Amino acid sequence: MAVYKRRYNSYAGSLTPQWSRFFVLTRFALADLFKSRFFVLLLILCMIPLLFAAGYIFVANNKTLQLLMQARPEVGSFFKVENDFFIVVMIVQAEAAFLLNCWVGPVLISGDLTNGALPLFLSRPFSRPDYVLGKLAVLGLLLSAVTWVPGLLLFGLQSSLAHNGWIWSHLWMIVPIVFCSLIWILALSLLSLAVSAWVKLRIVATGVTFIIFFVPAGLGEMFNHIMGTYWGALLNFSYMFRIILERGFRDPYRLLNRMSDGEIPVAAAWCSLIFVCLLALVILNVRLRARETVRG
Amino acid sequence: MTPTIELDTLEVQLGGRTILHGLTGVLKSRAIGLLGPNGAGKSTLINTLLGFHVPSKGSARVLGFDSHTGGKALRSLVGYMPENDAFISKMSGVRFVRYMAEISGLPPEQAMERAHEAFVYVGLGEARYRPVGTYSLGMKQLAKLAQAIAHGPKVLILDEPTNGMDPPARKRLIELIREIREASDICLLLSSHLLRDVEETCDEVLILRNGKIASICNLVEERRANRKFLELETVGAEAAFTTALESIGCECAVFTSGRIKVVMPDSVEIREVFKVAADRGVQIRRMNHRRDSLEDIFLNAMEQTGVADGRL
Repeated sequence: MAVYKRRYNSYAGSLTPQWSRFFVLTRFALADLFKSRFFVLLLILCMIPLLFAAGYIFVANNKTLQLLMQARPEVGSFFKVENDFFIVVMIVQAEAAFLLNCWVGPVLISGDLTNGALPLFLSRPFSRPDYVLGKLAVLGLLLSAVTWVPGLLLFGLQSSLAHNGWIWSHLWMIVPIVFCSLIWILALSLLSLAVSAWVKLRIVATGVTFIIFFVPAGLGEMFNHIMGTYWGALLNFSYMFRIILERGFRDPYRLLNRMSDGEIPVAAAWCSLIFVCLLALVILNVRLRARETVRG
Repeated sequence: MTPTIELDTLEVQLGGRTILHGLTGVLKSRAIGLLGPNGAGKSTLINTLLGFHVPSKGSARVLGFDSHTGGKALRSLVGYMPENDAFISKMSGVRFVRYMAEISGLPPEQAMERAHEAFVYVGLGEARYRPVGTYSLGMKQLAKLAQAIAHGPKVLILDEPTNGMDPPARKRLIELIREIREASDICLLLSSHLLRDVEETCDEVLILRNGKIASICNLVEERRANRKFLELETVGAEAAFTTALESIGCECAVFTSGRIKVVMPDSVEIREVFKVAADRGVQIRRMNHRRDSLEDIFLNAMEQTGVADGRL
């Protein structure tokens, strides 16, 4: 089928491994995203808190700088890098990840569904799980880049500056930095993919993503006030993430638990986020079909 | 040789309704046409062959691969051009085809090369850098064909490929399909409402009606049989002429005004009929091959299954 010959020839060359083909979707989606200036700007904005955090770590480990700032003794104790610091960093970055997800997620699947491209993917040696994995990897990579990856970099920076065996006494913090971020990334990504599979218009899909995160939280608060309970907070997914994060950082309900008087068990928080993931998978399973079947 | 398509009491239910009722048949030709009125189950059959629908009973095999259990292996051989719109509107044409080729397993460089080749081949070379969403309907059809052939499939499944095309574009597309068929060992499954499209591109036809097989017809054999059936208008033909034809193996039926119908055996060529006529001093004023068009075959199939009008 060479251009100059203008005749059809079948292909007899090498093929890429089957397992790696999901990454084609990821590669093309990322290439499209990085063409958007707004997206690049948003990504940079998501990184800015990390610069402040890195600056904080630098000051916390630099006595000379603290002296130059003519710090009072109580200010000196303010610059302390412990689990509280990482909880704050991870929560700020989780919110940044949410914003990034609201911009990127809604277009990932809807673009394929709008013009019926899904049968083209699924008529190839490419399954629905491959498709979801490819799209999930887009969000996974982007959200990782603003959550646990910089979290680990900050941990590494603090380790290198602190000396005195700080790294060995705080090594356990790697686990919550990575795993708490991953559950949040998974919940966010699956939910926004489900919305993208359900709503074709980007602006509407972005709105629906916000609604899913904020309306149930509000309803949960109403439920708490009316019924005099605290279980309504299970509908507040950000709060559930905070509970998991605080428990992960061995800081149970001290720093940020100001939302209700009661205590949601951490297992319930895990169940809430896992339920969100399962619900999103059910929606994706229903929506991602090569052909729709009309009942009746 | 492995049959192209084997259907073994294939039954497919969708939304609680049975769409395909126990289809059984073997299609061995390299180019198979799928015909039937609206709602006959053509697209459902194609979707089942692609593994989009799971058979509720029986099985369907393409080149020996079961559509359900061997789905991925089967789909690695297939290039599919769907009936409806199927594209990513914001992508340029060549990038869209490259994307699809890479998903089929081509390495990026080869995918890009073949995407360009496929676009030039289908005649969209000038428009390949435009977003697919800006293409006309006919161009979108050609882009769909390009993505179906870019990865060099062994089976090309075309669902209503000429939909929405004007006559010159339709002619060009049919020529392309014939070229593709003749230039390689690719197997073709073409579903169309236009009998002429199927007649011009296919060797075998599967006619569906109400989810059942109305007829399986080998067009090549049909054409060969038609070639051997002659209608003659003669002057000066006497009994001796028909006797002479019968002596070389032909069957003859004589009508008034010198009209003779002749069925020739495979071993007899037309020039022998001329020779016999010349020897007997008979003038052959007109000679026609009886030709059953696909339309006749289709209408016969519809009549046999109880549809008098045979509407498409």
